[in-house]
Amino acid sequence: MISLSKKVCLLGDFAVGKTSLVRRFVYSLFDDRYLSTIGVRVSRKMIVLPRGQDMVELSLMLWDLAGSEEFNTVRTSYLRGAAGAILVCDLTRTTTLDSLPAYAAELRQVNPGAWLVVAANKGDLVGEHRLTEAQVAQRAAELAAPYFITSAKTGANVEVAFHRLGELVVA
Amino acid sequence: MSDHLVQAILCDRRIAYAITDRQCKVIAVHYCSPALQIWMQDWIGRALAEVVPEWLGSESVLADVLSGATSRVRLSRVNRELPDGRTAYLTLTVLPHLDDAGQISGLIHVVEDETAIGEIEQRLTQQRNELRLLQEELRQKNLALEAANAELRRLDQLKSTFVSIAAHELRTPLASISGYVEMLLDGDAGPLTDLQREYLRIVEGGARRLTRISRDLSDLTRIETGRLEVRRQPTDLGRLTEMVAAEHCPQLEERDQRLTLRVASGLPLTLCDPERAAQVIGNLLSNAGKYSPPGAAITLSAGLAAEAGFVQISVADEGVGIAEEDQPYVFDPFYRARNVVEVGASGTGLGLYIARSLVKLQGGRLWFVSTPGKGSTFFATFPVAAAAG
Repeated sequence: MISLSKKVCLLGDFAVGKTSLVRRFVYSLFDDRYLSTIGVRVSRKMIVLPRGQDMVELSLMLWDLAGSEEFNTVRTSYLRGAAGAILVCDLTRTTTLDSLPAYAAELRQVNPGAWLVVAANKGDLVGEHRLTEAQVAQRAAELAAPYFITSAKTGANVEVAFHRLGELVVA
Repeated sequence: MSDHLVQAILCDRRIAYAITDRQCKVIAVHYCSPALQIWMQDWIGRALAEVVPEWLGSESVLADVLSGATSRVRLSRVNRELPDGRTAYLTLTVLPHLDDAGQISGLIHVVEDETAIGEIEQRLTQQRNELRLLQEELRQKNLALEAANAELRRLDQLKSTFVSIAAHELRTPLASISGYVEMLLDGDAGPLTDLQREYLRIVEGGARRLTRISRDLSDLTRIETGRLEVRRQPTDLGRLTEMVAAEHCPQLEERDQRLTLRVASGLPLTLCDPERAAQVIGNLLSNAGKYSPPGAAITLSAGLAAEAGFVQISVADEGVGIAEEDQPYVFDPFYRARNVVEVGASGTGLGLYIARSLVKLQGGRLWFVSTPGKGSTFFATFPVAAAAG
């Protein structure tokens, strides 16, 4: 078994559910209350993935970065060394999908080989969606990233999205 | 600077630090705050990336400092969960540690506990973000309201078009019906029996009523689209009132209702559209007759208004009156008060709406006073010709 540690970031506008996705993935928890993140909160989650004939024990260091505009000027310094990122948008807010290319560009400027996965979150709020899956798919294709409709609340596709990023960063 | 002084400053500023060798293994630590002590007390002998998870997976960043490629790395507002569930906010800075020869011998890892300011910043950010979410929600709701409003306008336009077409298309056949009924009643097609005459009178009454509805619908459309025009001219409103009273007398007499006419002498000329002013007075008289019981007294008056520069028409009846809860709505189109519906009086609910619009267009006011069960008085004012300029 090979052991690896990789830094991956969660990027996206404020209140899209980045912290909730990490909490769901790492602790299997969800809290409806919105609590703004300032700065960065790093969590660790060990996952085991196949790589060719081997198995890889991957320690994912999850950097949950503040999404507020006020953090924009310093975000780049937090991105150094990142092997990939989950780009998170909120299906109930169209502007959050429009922001993703800028986050992707910022990450790839610092780490040109970084991998991306798009998580269109709040999939559970079906009646409130203002983004369609087709729109998400198109934006993800433009970013050369796989996408998942996730729900930190129900846990839908959360594990899958992180595992997919794990597979990409150890490939 | 003495060690004590440095120690005091570091403690006061809640600054701790660790020193590593070139393999990033911690060889010395210094801390004052209890919170940092809990975290840092077992660092010695361990790899920096092991004790500070922010550096795990980012070893290349530390290597850059060790090699001198980067002079410092700084991460501010690093969140650290405290045992009591609160969040500590730290700033982590990695600097090269130089030996006596000036060579990089390891790293200095500085930890600044900025929880107090971090908590304030978090609360501010929280409030700002919640406000932004509310603004965004408000914007979305406004867009939805605008869309709903546009749809309502479209439907309203569609309704106006339909009403206008329907009213217009009714007019021609109604004119034929009225014309031929009149000819029949005049004996143009031969003598009539009493029964035939009675039936024809019923047809004539129905056609008159339909014509009135058709005219009201046309007026409604014109008012809503702003195309209703009045041709104002100096008019003897007293004389006009007498004429309208004479026209309505037969209908009132049919119901044994007594019309009293009071026209003040020497009234000044008013500036109004005589046809439309007659329509208003006729409408008020018609309502008074409809909503009053047989035998009731109706008084139509014309005189100077209390408001200078206006002549006032009033129509007082002894009818059902208007309930207090209905009073705010009687001038709304298609509104019919409950007691009016209960007594079985016919009508579309357009008369008063049109009458008030017409009065307003002519520069006057239309209002009423009413006591349920006792009757109502409606007042309409028209500007005096000279005063209206």
